[in-house]
Amino acid sequence: MKHIRNFSIIAHIDHGKSTLADRFIQLCEGLSTREMSEQVLDSMDLERERGITIKAQSVSLQYKAKDGQEYQLNFIDTPGHVDFSYEVSRSLYACEGALLVVDAAQGVEAQSVANCYTAVEQGLEVIPVLNKIDLPAADPERVKAEIEEIIGLEADETIGVSAKTGENVDQVLEQLVNQVPPPKGDPDAPLKALIIDSWFDNFVGVVSLVRVMDGSLTRGDRIKVMSTERSHGVTELGIFSPKRHAKDTLKTGEVGYVIAGIKDIDGAPVGDTLTHEKRPCAERIPGFREVKPRVFAGLFPVDSSDYEDFRDALQKLRLNDAALHYEPEVSDALGFGFRCGFLGMLHMEIVQERLEREYRINLITTAPTVVYEVLTVDGETQPVDNPSHLPAVNKIDEIREPIIEANILVPQEFVGPVITLCEEKRGQQKNMHYHGKQVQLTYELPLSEVVLDFFDRLKSVSRGFASFEYDFKRFQAANLVKLDVLINGDRVDALSTIVHRDDAFHRGKELCERMKDIIPRQMFEVAIQAAIGSHIIARSTVKALRKNVTAKCYGGDVTRKRKLLEKQKEGKRRMKSVGKVDIPQEAFLAVLQVNKD
Amino acid sequence: MPPLALYVHLPWCERKCPYCDFNSHALDAPVPEADYLQALSADLAAEQHHTAGRPVTSIFIGGGTPSLFSPRAIGEILEAIDGTLGMSTDVEITLEANPGSAEATRFAGYHAAGVNRLSIGVQSFNDHHLKALGRIHDGREACNAIEAARRAGFERINGDLMFGLPGQNPEQAVADIDTLLELGLYHVSHYELTLEPNTVFHARPPELPDPDTRWEMQLACRERLERAGLQRYEISAWASPGQACRHNLNYWRFGDYAAIGAGAHGKLTLPGEAGVWRYHKHRIPQRYMALAGEAARNGWRRLAAEDLRFEFMLNALRLPEGFDESLFRERTGLDPSCIRGELAALAKDGLMECLEDDIRRWRPTGRGLDLLNELQGRFLPEAA
Repeated sequence: MKHIRNFSIIAHIDHGKSTLADRFIQLCEGLSTREMSEQVLDSMDLERERGITIKAQSVSLQYKAKDGQEYQLNFIDTPGHVDFSYEVSRSLYACEGALLVVDAAQGVEAQSVANCYTAVEQGLEVIPVLNKIDLPAADPERVKAEIEEIIGLEADETIGVSAKTGENVDQVLEQLVNQVPPPKGDPDAPLKALIIDSWFDNFVGVVSLVRVMDGSLTRGDRIKVMSTERSHGVTELGIFSPKRHAKDTLKTGEVGYVIAGIKDIDGAPVGDTLTHEKRPCAERIPGFREVKPRVFAGLFPVDSSDYEDFRDALQKLRLNDAALHYEPEVSDALGFGFRCGFLGMLHMEIVQERLEREYRINLITTAPTVVYEVLTVDGETQPVDNPSHLPAVNKIDEIREPIIEANILVPQEFVGPVITLCEEKRGQQKNMHYHGKQVQLTYELPLSEVVLDFFDRLKSVSRGFASFEYDFKRFQAANLVKLDVLINGDRVDALSTIVHRDDAFHRGKELCERMKDIIPRQMFEVAIQAAIGSHIIARSTVKALRKNVTAKCYGGDVTRKRKLLEKQKEGKRRMKSVGKVDIPQEAFLAVLQVNKD
Repeated sequence: MPPLALYVHLPWCERKCPYCDFNSHALDAPVPEADYLQALSADLAAEQHHTAGRPVTSIFIGGGTPSLFSPRAIGEILEAIDGTLGMSTDVEITLEANPGSAEATRFAGYHAAGVNRLSIGVQSFNDHHLKALGRIHDGREACNAIEAARRAGFERINGDLMFGLPGQNPEQAVADIDTLLELGLYHVSHYELTLEPNTVFHARPPELPDPDTRWEMQLACRERLERAGLQRYEISAWASPGQACRHNLNYWRFGDYAAIGAGAHGKLTLPGEAGVWRYHKHRIPQRYMALAGEAARNGWRRLAAEDLRFEFMLNALRLPEGFDESLFRERTGLDPSCIRGELAALAKDGLMECLEDDIRRWRPTGRGLDLLNELQGRFLPEAA
């Protein structure tokens, strides 16, 4: 055990985590140069494209240190986005140390700060590393000062590396071996293993990445998943090197994968504990919670005949994504679809993109909404994740909205605009600290405002320099109303939103204007209205199409004209008809895009 | 059997215009008149097998630039037609001509050869606009060409005009019509410039007037043509009484037309229950000439009921006078009940009207004509 080192890398997107990990693998000869594709660990196309990690992965490496000893280095990769902070906390729990990788030019960012705090709270040894020192804009001294001031880590001995060129990467491995403690744990105690992540494999079912805390796990063992109390026989276990490499036993302190014929992702939830059926451990590893979606949106196939395929695709995605929730939804405007729940906006975008890309389903997504709590006059509390399901006004005593605590890191020169933005978004300032050039702001904000466009706005008012992370705090009563959109007098359920009363007028007006630009001219005039209850608060008009005629005479050739008409018809088919009005897909997301400059 | 027309395609131009997506080919050598005439004559023989002995009531020689052919060659083509398919006594024979000075010298020859209607591709009288269109003639030549055509004895002359040209304003579009009227023309084909796929303009679009200006242009031109006493007898054709192009009307009324020449499209009703057939001739001139005759026929296929229904409407809806249900039955062999549902829906939207006489006559309203694509699109067969 004393030659095992379990560690994670905490890094902001683009700060070079994956490249550094690849260097480690190369230094330990986990793969030949030929086998190293661009970046080994981000295996999904989407992850690679966006430079983010969605699923935790791990790699076990044999490292011969300068002291002449051979060490087993287990690197546990963590998701790099606020939507997946729970998964991060579970990954960190499986480690004794973490590398904090900071871009030597850009400095510390909020997401890394939050993850770093989690690591420190969990008793991990955190080793700061400055990456990208080869860049001309690198400013190691300034960034070291930030690490000390903002995070409170000793940064004197911080090594500057370039993952790109490989410079100093070997020194980081030496630091890991010397500073990260070996795992503790009792090899003779009953088995206690943490599920760091689970995913679904078409051939073997659920594969779980686990960290053995106490005891050991051997092929053939009967194990029990403690939350479900279900037992399974272990058919295969092993490590990733980074190739899947089967072994007979995973010992105390080791990290590896387990396959036990589990057919359903919910059968091995992230954060849960595995133990032996016969000799179970006394209690579960603390901190397990069920992940709850916080953002909901309606997803509808553009072509209603895709509904069955859509359902199958969701089922398949769900196999790998316990955080994805869905249930059937019927919309007057959009027909049959599913109400889907996501961890956050990134999670939603990823799911949407996978459905369209991997499953080739053309979707209309309604504006995402948070889950509200409604207290009815009967004294009942009910969650509402769909504006069109809001009870009638006279049945509502109070609507409560989710409030988050946001931590924002921003360079001094942009503090003003960021504060203005937070105030505009109904934020309450809780804290403000100056750390050298950066300012740390803490605000309580309604989640609905964050879902709307906060992140984009934050980036734009700070020229991309501000970063933020958030945590759910509580539900809080607010003066909220349902804003409806009527098209030629018909209420379009999929366009309803819940907004603060103070914003309703402005929102309604902007929404009408945007809709006017998005909805193409039709054969008749289209009236767009925004309403609260029966009260119309804004309106706009799409004028009638004046002409649609192309009347060449092709000497009797009808094929070209037919092609043109078919193209026009196909364009219409990609829209949704509400009443007699054809509405393009982007109209349903326009609800989101108000307020944009 | 429906009346029979004949389309003759002569596929060469001196230079390809950047907006043109017709089957036209720039010349790099003299027109191979003799070889092409030989191919046309083999082609005519092939057509004769399918026309059921009907003489042609109209001939349209289009292109390309047919006026690149000598009057003698045109005369030979007409003789060959008369010797195979035959012509009715009042046959209308149109030739498309470029308004260049070289062509104008041949007009008398064409008239003598039997051509009795000339269609001149004026496009505009404004030199700037003509240049923007890549035309090789100028405004003065266009005026001269029309006068030459009249001097040559033509009583029926069409002028093609385009509007919505790069840099054009509504006053200039109307001025083009004024000039045409002053020259004493009684037939105008008035088209909006559209950027078609597979053209230079599609790849490198010129800056067109904005949609509002183009609409204003169209209204102003329309008003001018009406004031001059011309009648809009087709979506983009205006004529004084008796001047309407019978050949084109035959298309719009879903008559038959045989087709000869490279890339020419034909539509024929075969005797008995054999139905309505479409085809086209091989489009590359060299290959067309090598194939000669039946072998040049491509895409020979019988129209299914839903195609007949669509194609009839595609054509008939272009006519402001509309069509009788009896014509639909006669030309398609289908019961008119299969179009009444759509027509009634369009009537409800104010796009069509039904004149309840003895025979049921349908016609597009003014608004319907402005939205012609919408009307035609309603009759598209469902995608397979």
